[in-house]
Amino acid sequence: MNPQLKGVESIEGTYLFDLERSAKGLRLNRFLHGLTEPDKRALFREDPSTAFDRGGLTQEERRMVRELDWAALIRYGASFFCLEKLGRVKGVSNPEMVAAFRGETLEQFLKTRNVPGAR
Amino acid sequence: MATILGGIGTSHVPTIAMAYDRNKAGDPDWAPLFRGYAPVAHWVAEKKPDVLVVFYNDHATTFFFDHYSTFALGASAAYPIADEGLGPRPVPPLKGHVALARHMAESLVNDEFDLSVFQELPIDHGCHSPLTMFWPPAPDWPGCIVPIAINVLQHPLPTPLRCYKLGRAVRRAVLSYPEDLKVVVVGTGGLSHQMNGARAGYNNTEWDMKFLDLIARDPAPLTRMTHADYIRLGGTEGAEEIMWLAMRGSLSEGATKLHQSYYLPMTAAMAVALFEEPEAALQSEAESRRTSDTA
Repeated sequence: MNPQLKGVESIEGTYLFDLERSAKGLRLNRFLHGLTEPDKRALFREDPSTAFDRGGLTQEERRMVRELDWAALIRYGASFFCLEKLGRVKGVSNPEMVAAFRGETLEQFLKTRNVPGAR
Repeated sequence: MATILGGIGTSHVPTIAMAYDRNKAGDPDWAPLFRGYAPVAHWVAEKKPDVLVVFYNDHATTFFFDHYSTFALGASAAYPIADEGLGPRPVPPLKGHVALARHMAESLVNDEFDLSVFQELPIDHGCHSPLTMFWPPAPDWPGCIVPIAINVLQHPLPTPLRCYKLGRAVRRAVLSYPEDLKVVVVGTGGLSHQMNGARAGYNNTEWDMKFLDLIARDPAPLTRMTHADYIRLGGTEGAEEIMWLAMRGSLSEGATKLHQSYYLPMTAAMAVALFEEPEAALQSEAESRRTSDTA
């Protein structure tokens, strides 16, 4: 156990990106990270099945990416920062992703914010 | 000899770059952010640093988890702006100070900071989203950088104390550089925010204010906290504040905070704080004496 993380398990609603999570999500995160490359981005837009095949994604991973199931993706082991790449490609903003993690609609989430227009 | 004029702690939220790139200074939702950075931009324009040493983190953009360095120093003459999914930002490539970077790498490794060295890799918003607010490329960047990437994504992260000590070692490295160079050290990240799980959207302004106070006045307690403490108080991504500790470690104890600004419009608390070294303050006094003599 990493002594720096002692007590972190008692913080609710939190997924800590440690080596175990990183290993579980490696294939999925590699795929998402690939979206920083224009060629892979284009393939994903035009022919997602081939893009998924090349990334070796499982059926469950494909479903989550296809459906933009943000809460499931982050629970599964996606790094938020890799999900951000998917968000940009699909035109989904960070507040929309955060709302999904919280189980809220964007409108509900924005009501909890100081300046809802700042996005 | 190289001197350190001061330091800047700043958030690196991607929307800071968006607000700059889309020229939102007149938009009431963003105007407070621009106002907060204006005194920092003014100070930097007046001091004209040759080099910014920037402690930042990459966001699984350039570096990936198949090989994730704890500390990585950039040592090339140029760094492309990274493509984070939308194509690169419309700003010029960052310029690197090769000689200082090589000297720093040698100094740091001989000082037992065995960091990785990278060259010509793209740099993401963790470094340049705040830079444009106080060091705008008009049209090109006003000087060079030495980027130092810190792992704040994949635990185990370097401890808060280790980051502070890295800052001390960076100070020794910069001050032992033989040529005259004016250096400002930047630490990016934070403040409170969390980007995963049902706790996403968590903020803690009370803690943020305490952090902004302690980082200036008494950073030692911040170096004794664990990552779990940072996460509990400031969210999982609030732990990025350890990069401010690296910046603070590179300054002298006598550095004073000249300015701070805090704005929490959406998900992440956006803060900037400016620290000045006594040497830079003396330089300003000499400058103003010269100006008044001329007048």
